Amino acid sequence: MEHAFYETFFRHDHGRGLKAHSTHYCPGCGHGLITKYLSEAIGELGIQDDTVLISPVGCAVFLYYYLNVGNQLAAHGRAPVVALGQKTANPDSIVISYQGDGDLASIGLAEIVSSAQAGLPISVIFVNNTNYGMTGGQMAPTTLMGQKTATCPDGRSRFMGEPIKVAEMIAGLDGPVYVERVALFDHAQRMKAKKAIKKAIKNQVDKKGFSFVEVLSECPVQLKLAPVKASEWVKNNMVPVFPLGVKKDISDNAAEPWELNRPDYEVMPLLKEIGASQELPPRFAEAFPAHIDPEDIGVKFAGSGGDGAQTAALLLAKAAAQEGWDATHIPSYGPESRGGTSYADVHIAGEVLSPVVPKPHILAVFNAPSANKFAPSVLPGGIVIYDSTVIDALPETAEGVRAYGLPFTEIANGLGRLILKNMVCLGVLCAATGIFPKETFLEAMKRGLKPDPKIQEINREAFMAGMRAFEEKYGK
Amino acid sequence: MCATVQSGKARFKPFVSAAYCKSCGRCIAACPKGCISLGGEVNHESGFVPVKIDYTECIGCGICASSCPEPYALHDEAIKYYWENPKNQQNEAEREVLPQPEPKPAQRIPLPKTEPLMIKGTYASAIGALLAGCRHFFGYPITPSTEGSELMAKILPHIKGTYIQAVSEVAAINYIYGCGGAGVPCMTFTSSPGYSLMQEGLSCMVAGRVPGVIVNIMRGGPGLGNIGPEQADIKFACRGLGHGNTHALVLAPSDPQEMLNLTMEAFEKAFKYRLPVIVLGDGYLGQVTGSVKLPEYMIKPGTPEWAVAGDREHRANLITSLQISEADLERENIELEKLYEDICANEQRADLFNTEGCEILLVAANTPARMAKGAIRTLRSKGIKAGLFRPVSLWPFPIDRLKALLEAEPVKHIMVVEASLGQLEDEMRLALSYTDVKRPPISHVRRLGGVLPSGQEIVAAVEGLEADR
Repeated sequence: MEHAFYETFFRHDHGRGLKAHSTHYCPGCGHGLITKYLSEAIGELGIQDDTVLISPVGCAVFLYYYLNVGNQLAAHGRAPVVALGQKTANPDSIVISYQGDGDLASIGLAEIVSSAQAGLPISVIFVNNTNYGMTGGQMAPTTLMGQKTATCPDGRSRFMGEPIKVAEMIAGLDGPVYVERVALFDHAQRMKAKKAIKKAIKNQVDKKGFSFVEVLSECPVQLKLAPVKASEWVKNNMVPVFPLGVKKDISDNAAEPWELNRPDYEVMPLLKEIGASQELPPRFAEAFPAHIDPEDIGVKFAGSGGDGAQTAALLLAKAAAQEGWDATHIPSYGPESRGGTSYADVHIAGEVLSPVVPKPHILAVFNAPSANKFAPSVLPGGIVIYDSTVIDALPETAEGVRAYGLPFTEIANGLGRLILKNMVCLGVLCAATGIFPKETFLEAMKRGLKPDPKIQEINREAFMAGMRAFEEKYGK
Repeated sequence: MCATVQSGKARFKPFVSAAYCKSCGRCIAACPKGCISLGGEVNHESGFVPVKIDYTECIGCGICASSCPEPYALHDEAIKYYWENPKNQQNEAEREVLPQPEPKPAQRIPLPKTEPLMIKGTYASAIGALLAGCRHFFGYPITPSTEGSELMAKILPHIKGTYIQAVSEVAAINYIYGCGGAGVPCMTFTSSPGYSLMQEGLSCMVAGRVPGVIVNIMRGGPGLGNIGPEQADIKFACRGLGHGNTHALVLAPSDPQEMLNLTMEAFEKAFKYRLPVIVLGDGYLGQVTGSVKLPEYMIKPGTPEWAVAGDREHRANLITSLQISEADLERENIELEKLYEDICANEQRADLFNTEGCEILLVAANTPARMAKGAIRTLRSKGIKAGLFRPVSLWPFPIDRLKALLEAEPVKHIMVVEASLGQLEDEMRLALSYTDVKRPPISHVRRLGGVLPSGQEIVAAVEGLEADR
């Protein structure tokens, strides 16, 4: 008979004495049979080398003592997602997740439901013996009504809820291709169980999808019954609550076979995806705009959400980077970001130290609250540009601050789209500060905005309109 | 597939391997001919009363063997296991010998020169992961880390990678445990409350020696706190990682370039030490856009010899976090201790800024270190000799560098600048307490709840010190 048991269980008490060739299971325990059928299915399918078995917490925690396959032990409830981690890592491996009811049906509900719904091809064996065997016979989600356990000593009552029917629940999901509940109490049932376990694994070999087998299993010790009596108990008490049979099987007419991704490590496709360009951008500036500050320039854009302050700020930072300077952009973030104002700080320097701009050299404001809040913080000799459509006057500013008001909104409206006011603002900023040549901004817009020619054109037009408006009002 | 001595006969004849029979009686109930009964004698090895078989009615159906829960208690007589009888000599020629797994090292693939990217911190970190050969991402979206996940979700399917949105952070870290257990580089982005949920999995990763990279973009706490930047998971990352004696390398970038570099390096270190590596950023760093240069190479991952990789070569491998015997578990802990010592000796990292002749030493990590740098420029322009000691590795705390600095420079005062209630300061004080260096007075500038210490606050605090002196 083909099987996948280790010849000697070296992991069981270091392979000493009887433990070298016998399991840790109590006499008559269903786990032993399930392990045996699993072992035979792996052997008969010829997949021993490919198999990765995820052992659970609970009585089957030592599954990896016995089966001579790749093994990984999962924490309470997590086996299905550990299995999926394994499966996606090596799509050719056959990954089997094995769990009991205290594990899968309780602490691991989120994992099993999400994994089953995802439908990726793994095989799950679920052992239902109506109690937490390993921890000493406490109540499980599957404990029958009236059944006495260590944590429902008077019997499970309505207050603890009805036992959960896992196979039906899993079968109700769209993901699985095969769900069956089987038992071990007589020869016919055992052969069905063996067949179901093999089918659940074969489905994975055939890339059909998620397969799930619930096995009603005897726990003679915690039921306080002799093994054969425990089998009768399963038949007489569990089967009426957990009906046997196939709950779902679309494995023969499942959709496309699963082909999981196998990564490639090609350089150029990756560089394309991350937007890295080998083409160096043209430079237009002759030197650092030291007329504003010799080494570190701070610019703040402020308005309300939707004014486009962030996009304008990001384009300025990109423009600076294009010219070979270090630059940062930070959107308003933290407590200040709530309350309708949106502002952005930009630094341009040989090396930016702190990216925040508490005292800007240049302030661009789109509304009166922003102007009132930030204009007083502009450094002496700095520049404020503001949208004169909505801002009548600025508060008092530091000595030597120059203020330029232009109707960003009206100009944008004249171009047919209010959202262009941030580009108008950038044009004004370019003309008012001389921070970089206009070509630098236009190049940054070309690279930083959506490549759609129409979008490119209107943004360019708005920028140029802003520049012109400034020059008409204030001269070059 | 065991080594057996098989005769040519076809019909099954049951054989009870007496020492391994647990007297459960399943075979007695299963036998259609009633051939099997409990024997009368106690087996002196097992303490059980094994079954016995009356072969007169046996039809060789094999039902008894298929009903026996033990692997080796009841089998065909034709199979002679060596342990059952001294005469059944093990046939060495038939014994399966698996190939010894060899490590397949990662390869460096040169990258062409590209123009710097203007990207935010979370994107830089995601790109660092991709360049490190990470093609598997598992995560649960949580602000302010989501942009990193989103970029991975966008890119990975295009380069035959795997992006899985997990049902929770508990699940996310366990996908990583599984994928990392297969020897495959993988990662997640998360933020403080999500990082809390990952502790169980992190502890299992440490115990099972599974590599993986967790980028935690820290936000304000405790509880759900807010989405502002904080550094209040430092204690958690340096002293936490779930239950048990756990540690992992904790890296603290302070700008987008370092988000890329340190995330990329985190993968290398995770595989070097077979442990998770935590990249701790703050919410501000996640959002800040800066210029980021790509490295000169990217990584094509190999396969480590320990991987549970679903093939013949790696079949004998096991990833487990369980050691049921106390002696075994103590030994494992001692091995972990040696590993931690190794990391402490080799992975301390710090960045120094203007520390020559420094009298006021600021200590800060992540974004507050950038605020501190800005403050130092101001302080130096005022003639105050301030400098910055920036731990890049938070665990291990770069105490050797700090000690050397304190011994070499005329430091009169240490001021810790942080967005937490002293968690960085605690790490520093603890590290200092293990040294014999004479430490100057320590004070601090702290902001909390999503507010970062500002440059002005730092300048004012240092000037306050100067005034006191």
